[in-house]
Amino acid sequence: MLEILNQNETIHTIVTVGSMSLFFVGLFGLLTQKHLIKVFMSIAIMETSLFLFFIGVMFDKNFTAPIVDATHTTFTNMNDPIPHAMILTAIVIGMAVLALGVSFAIEYYRVTQNSEIDKMNGLKN
Amino acid sequence: MISSILFIALPLLFGFATPLFSKFGKNGVAYSSTLMQIFLLYLASYLIMTTSSPHIEIIAIAPPLGISFVLNKVSLFFVLIFTFLMTLFSLYYLSYRKTDAFKDETKFFILINMLLASAIGLVLSSDIFNIYVFFEIAGISAYILSAYTKTAQALEAGLKYLITGAIASLFLLFAIMLIYIHIGSLNLAIIAQNFETLPYNIKILISIFLLIGFGFKVEIFPLNFWVVDVYQGSTSIINALFSGIVVKAYLFVFFHILYLFIPSGEFSLFLIYLGAISMLVAEIVGLRQTDIKRVFAYSSLGQVALIFTAFAMQNQEAVQSALFIVASHSIAKFIIFLAITTIYKEENNFHIDTLKKFHSPFLKVIIVIAMLSLLGIPLFMGFVGKFLILKSLALHSLVGVLSIIILASLIEAVYYFKLIGFLFSKEHKRETVTISFTQKIVFIVLAFLILFIGLLPFSISNFLSQSASIMLNSTQYIGDLL
Repeated sequence: MLEILNQNETIHTIVTVGSMSLFFVGLFGLLTQKHLIKVFMSIAIMETSLFLFFIGVMFDKNFTAPIVDATHTTFTNMNDPIPHAMILTAIVIGMAVLALGVSFAIEYYRVTQNSEIDKMNGLKN
Repeated sequence: MISSILFIALPLLFGFATPLFSKFGKNGVAYSSTLMQIFLLYLASYLIMTTSSPHIEIIAIAPPLGISFVLNKVSLFFVLIFTFLMTLFSLYYLSYRKTDAFKDETKFFILINMLLASAIGLVLSSDIFNIYVFFEIAGISAYILSAYTKTAQALEAGLKYLITGAIASLFLLFAIMLIYIHIGSLNLAIIAQNFETLPYNIKILISIFLLIGFGFKVEIFPLNFWVVDVYQGSTSIINALFSGIVVKAYLFVFFHILYLFIPSGEFSLFLIYLGAISMLVAEIVGLRQTDIKRVFAYSSLGQVALIFTAFAMQNQEAVQSALFIVASHSIAKFIIFLAITTIYKEENNFHIDTLKKFHSPFLKVIIVIAMLSLLGIPLFMGFVGKFLILKSLALHSLVGVLSIIILASLIEAVYYFKLIGFLFSKEHKRETVTISFTQKIVFIVLAFLILFIGLLPFSISNFLSQSASIMLNSTQYIGDLL
């Protein structure tokens, strides 16, 4: 009965629906939240949802981890390792951008006592 | 054999080794990094003289696995522009740093070397995930540069730049993921081979995500609301880099990918109108600005949109004109923003009226040359590019776009002549501006190039026409890479 949950298609559907709803949670936050830190959190949520989506969709339950050992001597029946490498790189980059953003926000608050994105209007003619 | 990796590895190495060079004092950093850039400039010009066949460098394993860099005529053209401008920037900065804001120079040189490395990396990479990585490196160094002075305005500019940049990279990453899920490769050649066979809705989805991701960075109409604020908040010397190097790298990558993935030119008309409308909107809004950095930010938007239109036409003559405008606009905007840096000594006062209050015949002549070139007056470099694009539009009977561009150029002419009038008005008492010897050399070299190529466009038009056909020839590129 619960066999159906253990099929690739079901897993991929659940991952896609879940991560895309997470993506829209992030997008909603990005469009509605005014506080700078919350904006960065929304961006982080969107980013994470993409990572989840990609890793989840590229996962095949019939395949093993891509590691060659005594029992697995060839590169057959293994999950693709490239998405993992990509996502690791993307996580590091996303982390760096986020840290930079938060440090800008802190510095901006120190200078102007303002942390709301819609009050950022020092640059007007 | 000269390796193309040098162009990326050397600036990155010097960027991260900057703390080591700072053992030799602040001059050690400045001089070593300038020397490295001069070496790269020599390398690029040497290659451009000698190379006829594309030079492909693959790190690790064999194609399609591995990271590859392609150095052909057109990418070499961009590399030459970037290294040339960055060298002049460093030379200018060598004397500028004694007088002004950037006290912590070592950090500054890390950032500009990273910017150079990532701009060259964007142009050379033939792997879409590598393009994403360089996209982000260029972004991060540009965010820090724009918030460099840590004033309220600079931080606001940095924040706006960072938030829009983060959103852009999200969409680019989404597009790359969809490509990998459906094609199973990150190599541009393999993606290009299989892109046509994708289901129609997936193709459209990927195209839209790529357009949004790059659209933020190539400053195209609905997505360019942040650009002007960033230009206003950052210091004007940094704006020279943004307008001369960063945008050009993104523009090249976007159209390089577009030509590879969609050689049939399916969305060409849509992109042409997008570019033309962007140009018109930018010039109209630019008309009533009073802050000089905002004025030239809008002018940059307009010119970049013109380049966008020319690239979007996807035929040889138009691409050749686009490359012409890339070169002329980079050089002219470099002159303008460096001149603004020299003239405007007071912080927070960038009103255009200051142009009435300085005295320096040398600088005035240089600025007028740059402005006339931006306007596309005959005998200046900007004329050739504009003439070619208008001719190409007329040949393809796109009269609507043609009239939009002419209208936008006329509007641009109005505020440029207003500024030139300010330069030569007699009503104010004028203060003398001092320019150091190296800075004069930089201005003279740039202005000389504008006049020289303006008078003898044939000296480079042959090369650019070959570059354009290489850029458009996607089957050749795929064949070389595999």
